[in-house]
This record gives sequence, structure tokens and C-alpha cells, in this order.
Amino acid sequence: MKKILFGVYTAICIALLVWAFELAVNAPAEMMQGDAYRIIFYHVPSAMVAFLFFAISMAGSIGFLALREKNLAKALAWDAWAVSGAEVGIIFCTVVLITGPLWGYRAWGIWWAWDARLTTTLLLWLIYVSYLLMRRFASGPQMRTSSAVLGIFGGIAVPIVYISNRIPGQHPGPVFGGDRASGMDPVILRPFLWNIVAWLCWGILVLILRHGFELTQQEVAASEAELSLNA
Amino acid sequence: MKKAIAQFAAIVPIALFVWALYSLYAAPSEPPVDWRLHMSQEQHDLMVAPIDHAYRVAAYSVTWAIQLGYLAWLGLKWSGQKRVAGRK
Repeated sequence: MKKILFGVYTAICIALLVWAFELAVNAPAEMMQGDAYRIIFYHVPSAMVAFLFFAISMAGSIGFLALREKNLAKALAWDAWAVSGAEVGIIFCTVVLITGPLWGYRAWGIWWAWDARLTTTLLLWLIYVSYLLMRRFASGPQMRTSSAVLGIFGGIAVPIVYISNRIPGQHPGPVFGGDRASGMDPVILRPFLWNIVAWLCWGILVLILRHGFELTQQEVAASEAELSLNA
Repeated sequence: MKKAIAQFAAIVPIALFVWALYSLYAAPSEPPVDWRLHMSQEQHDLMVAPIDHAYRVAAYSVTWAIQLGYLAWLGLKWSGQKRVAGRK
């Protein structure tokens, strides 16, 4: 039953992505940026999904720290969400950091500027890369605890990145909830919203897969520990 | 069959990444800085359109290269992990 549900969900995700792609490439060209503005349909939804998954990672880290001494099995379940959220979040954040300069070069004539939004996004990416490196190379019982602390700091950085484009710089200000000039033409808004839905669904699919992998890894580690105790 | 799927999963992201690089490399050159002296706004827009398109194609391709590449990597690691678990 689970497999059927997962198959249906995957099919829905693929259909949504195809539909969103169709809308993105057929959206009317923007007057100043031509075809290059269509990068928004991949760049911004990827950023939103990355922020959401970093928040999931932070929640997982908090859950792990809260439960690690009371209920180890539950704490490990929270930890699985923490590492899955961080890793899939990094994938989306990498997309943001690559599509951003491609768009920026067409719009501004430069690949990169050390303005608040770009710099804080890069720092956020580096925090989570160091989180994964710590999990990969640190050993001992404190590895999960230390990485959970780092995961919480990463989660705290997300709102800072979110509000950073209110500081004047190269990156445009907020499209929604900004000043009077903010907002989006309904003709562009529709494909934009569909792309957010599609990329969110895809992200959840990848997150579920990554979480499944983490649980398998935890099972293997537990059976290895049991075998070494029995030997 | 499984091996073919794994090879396909590995090749697609690489192909997309190469396509992204190629579309940037093959993009036409930018109009000169003083283009207003030599051409009209319409001529300029016509000249710039394929460059904008190339950058959009590169951005979309690299996005899919990253997403599918990660999925392929995860699949390979997971199948390896399951094999180890099965042996034990």
C-alpha cells in the first residue's frame, strides 16, 4: 500500500513539474530582461524549499537534543529528519547559488556581488556544508549532539537570510510584502505559484527518499553494533 | 536491467551539465557597449534574445543536473547500503 501511494505521489510530482515547466517557458517575456527573467521560476522556488528544509533540519536537531537522554530511539528518529532536511536543503541552496549568478549576469552584468542577500545565502550554505562534513568525519557519541547544535545555528540564520534583501544592495528587494513597488504581474504570478507548488512537491519527494535512506543507515549501524557486542 | 537504469541515472545529470556549459559557451557574443551608436533598440533586442535564452537554458539544465544527480547518487548509496544490510 505504501509503495502504491509513493508511486502515485511520484507521478503527481512529475506531472506538476512538467506542467510548471510548460507554464514557465510559455510565460510572456519580460520587457527589460527578455527570456532570462524566466530563471525566477527555478531560482526563487528553490530558495523557498531550501529555507523550509533548513527549518525542518532545525526542528529535527531540537527534537534530538531534547530527547537524546530520555528516549534514544525517538531522538534518532528526529535526527534522521535533521540530517535529511540539511542535505536536501543544501541541494536546493546549491541550485539557488548557481542559477542566481546566471540570472545576475544577464540582469546586472556581473556574476556576483557581496551584498547582504548573496553573502548571507552563501554563509547559510557553508554552515550546512560544515554540518554535513561534521557528520561525515567526526566520530564518537558526541557527533550527533555537536551537529545538532550547528543545525540549530543554521536554522537561526534562515530568517536573517530572508530579511537580508531589505538592506539596499545589488539583489532586488522583496517581491511580496515589500514597498509599494513590490508585487508581480498576474500573468507571471500564475506560473510562478505553480512552480513553487511543483518544486515543493519534488523537494518533499526527495526528502522522503533521503529520510528512508537515513533510517536504513541507522538500522545497519544498530545491527553492526549488536553483532560486535555478540562477537 | 538494474545496471542499465543505474548507468542511465548517472549519464543524464552529466549530459545536462554538459548541455548547460555548452549553451553558455555557444551563446552569441554581447553587443558592443556603445550599441546605441550602431543599432536601434529593436536590433539590439533581437541580438540579445538568443543570449538570454542560452542563460535560461543553462540555468534550467544545471538545476535538473543537480537534482537528478543527487537522486542518482542517493539511489546508488541506498542500494549499496541495502546489499550490506542483506549480507549481515
